[in-house]
Amino acid sequence: MRRAKPNDRPPDVPRRVRNELEIVLGQRKLLQRLVPGLMHAFIFWGFLVLFPTIVMAMIAAVDKHTELPWLGHQTWFGWMVDLFVVLVLVGVGAAVYIRKVVRPPRFQGSHSGDADFILFMIAGVVTTLLCWHAAAHAAGLNDHVGPLSAALAKAFPSHGLEERVFVWAHLAFVLGFLRYLPYSKHLHIATAAVNVWLARTSRPGRLEPLRFDVPDDELRFGTATIFDLTRKEVMDGFSCTECGRCQDACPAWATGKVLSPKLLIMGVRDQVLAQSTEPILGNGVPEQMIWDCVTCGACVEACPVSIEHIDHIVDLRRSRVMVDSQFPAEAEPMLRDVERAGNPWGKPQTERAAWAEELGVRVLEPGDRPPEYLYWVGCAASFDERAKKSAESTAKLLQQAGVDFAILGPREACTGDPARRMGNEYVFQAYAEQNVATLREQRVRKIVASCPHCFNTLANEYGDFGGSFEVLHHTELLAELVRDGRLQPKADAKPITYHDSCYLARHNDVRMEPRELVAAVGQPIEMKRSGKQTFCCGAGGAHMWMEEAGKPINAERAREAIDTGAETLAVACPFCTVMLDDGVRETGSPMRVADVSTLLAESME
Amino acid sequence: MSVLLFVEPDDDLSLQALTFARSLGDVKAVSVDGPYAPAAWAAAIAGAAGDADAIVAAGSDRGNELLAHVSARLDQPFAANVTALDGDVVTRIRWGGSLLEQARLHGEPKLLTVAPHTQPAAEAVPVEQLALPADADTSVRVLETVSESSGGISLRDAKVVVSGGRGVGSSEAFAIIEELAELLGGAVGCSRVVTSAGWRPHTDQVGQTGTKISADLYVACGISGATQHIAGAKGAKKILAINSDPEAPILASADYAVIGDLHEIVPAVSAELRRVRSS
Repeated sequence: MRRAKPNDRPPDVPRRVRNELEIVLGQRKLLQRLVPGLMHAFIFWGFLVLFPTIVMAMIAAVDKHTELPWLGHQTWFGWMVDLFVVLVLVGVGAAVYIRKVVRPPRFQGSHSGDADFILFMIAGVVTTLLCWHAAAHAAGLNDHVGPLSAALAKAFPSHGLEERVFVWAHLAFVLGFLRYLPYSKHLHIATAAVNVWLARTSRPGRLEPLRFDVPDDELRFGTATIFDLTRKEVMDGFSCTECGRCQDACPAWATGKVLSPKLLIMGVRDQVLAQSTEPILGNGVPEQMIWDCVTCGACVEACPVSIEHIDHIVDLRRSRVMVDSQFPAEAEPMLRDVERAGNPWGKPQTERAAWAEELGVRVLEPGDRPPEYLYWVGCAASFDERAKKSAESTAKLLQQAGVDFAILGPREACTGDPARRMGNEYVFQAYAEQNVATLREQRVRKIVASCPHCFNTLANEYGDFGGSFEVLHHTELLAELVRDGRLQPKADAKPITYHDSCYLARHNDVRMEPRELVAAVGQPIEMKRSGKQTFCCGAGGAHMWMEEAGKPINAERAREAIDTGAETLAVACPFCTVMLDDGVRETGSPMRVADVSTLLAESME
Repeated sequence: MSVLLFVEPDDDLSLQALTFARSLGDVKAVSVDGPYAPAAWAAAIAGAAGDADAIVAAGSDRGNELLAHVSARLDQPFAANVTALDGDVVTRIRWGGSLLEQARLHGEPKLLTVAPHTQPAAEAVPVEQLALPADADTSVRVLETVSESSGGISLRDAKVVVSGGRGVGSSEAFAIIEELAELLGGAVGCSRVVTSAGWRPHTDQVGQTGTKISADLYVACGISGATQHIAGAKGAKKILAINSDPEAPILASADYAVIGDLHEIVPAVSAELRRVRSS
């Protein structure tokens, strides 16, 4: 831990306190799944409430007539103890039922012996506590017990021997558990709260930049061995309880890829525990794991202890790409084209504004008056035939609503997002600096972006490179225009299901605006996985330009959309458009895939 | 202005760089002995710089790599893919040829490479062979040169590529694509969907994540034309699309298009070719 690299994160204390209250005390992430969530919450809250009883037992073990000042004399506390002993036992029972009867696949690869022993210990701790209270009551040593202890006391004789037996049995369980704890996944009772505190307070879509302007001994090119890990990354490993919620949410795992976010974190942790000097990839973590990731963030969203899996994966990729130059060969043309041509398909930059010519969209020249909104078109909507429709629709709608906007045309370059997510931080930073310089030169203040990936980079990541802009996604601006009556669409009866893009819904919490638009043009139907629980289209994390082994993610998602019975699948991302359109065609379904902006533009005509 | 020019033997780009270098002043052309070793060769070139005002090479992979090493060694800035030098202002090509940038190049001597195919080639001149310095770093060097095996017509070099997409329907149905390719003396290609479905091997895939072709004619049958696919096919001189969907994106990139069912059209074309050839 001491050798780990520092994380460059702002103090942001109020937000961290709120995280502790919500995620730790309130168990918010755990309660995303009701039954396992309650199971854990009962045990956890029980642990908090029953904590003073450990001190009480230690005092009583030495002198059975001495009690903890004040609290030891409160009958309401005796009632609380009874209540939470029951709740903890219910929790343990539920846990055993989940693990032994339900056996959800999320536990695949977890250490189940460890879990069984821990559950046994927890049950032992609270059962002996209850018996101790009952025996003490029977011996006339404790008048402040709850009704359950009082009832149970009838089963004990009054001479007090049982009281001695159970107080020591209780302490034996407690101390034995404490001894076992540091070597088990149950260490999380000490580390989880710390990990939640350390978690990023910015939007989850922001990656932390590598700094290349520091002295050589502080330089970091991502992660090769455990000695390159950041403090948070080390802490992540020690916080993991192997609960598998991340694995359950992972689109790569769901489609039979090698990646399991859980096994990845366990692999990193095992390397740290072994103090291994070997590279993490190929030892703790199979190489293929890091390339399977679509950086959708479902794992991070699901994790009850705020583990940030994407950071590990991107750091491992950074080292592979920037130091070893080893990565899936098919991604090479994309990286080269981003670097040389300014867009991932190697199209001529001069053709970037071709889609806008007929519409008469203003193209900013150096020295021009800044528009109210700069429309950041992005490479996909500039060059891809299917995605272009969204740019055309958005531009038309902005014109209809009388919004003052302009585009950068050939001077807009790739934001660097695919290179960054692939691990090529150099190329990303070069583009970040260049684009920020162009935007500042044009005195741009507000940006509306068509692509959620551009949107995320502009809004969350360019701040690290001197670019602070007010950034909206086009669905946000269009929803505002509809709300203000500046656009008046006509809704019809066609059922539409909306697919949340990961980089909008999960990474940036943009969920309501696209839905407002869908509701304004048709009849919304929700898919099973939506909002922050959305399921990736398969293109994130540079996977738009990579080959997929096994079952395709886009087919899985397309099937879910078709199953809603909707005629139209609305999307808000050019990559989702292409991936899901492909996925739907594959099935032969007549479902239409279209950007929300296109549906809105059509409803105006 | 005195210019030190790095020249590779039998290299047209080097002769183009020579034309450029001559326009700047007196040229001393040099090369280096022995197998290629970038750090060592750069040391030799930097050692021969003397009081040259500029060190120039062709903007080839090798030229750019060498000058990058020279730049690091001399701790001077370097401009790649330059088309003109006027005082200390260089004009250079950026973004795959879509942008010309003017930039000031400081540093002494000026280090630059010449953008390929922007100058006519000069007549060859005598070249001085430089010896490697005694302490040269040859840890990276060429050990062996292996030429690609040439079994059949490779997709990359084929003059005609006949390619099938989702519209073909099955791996068996590729027989009609293969037949047309054979009649045209070309290679068979396919789109990503086809490899994903397992109808063809990945080696047949045309596209950004497959092979980039440079054929005279590309026949795209039942391929909708995702941008990834077009990125691999754009090197073809002419694109003929056969597709039943008049809205298919590929039509935006195609020079010729036939709207219709490829299962009728492709066999008909093959039959016609046979008929014409036999008569």
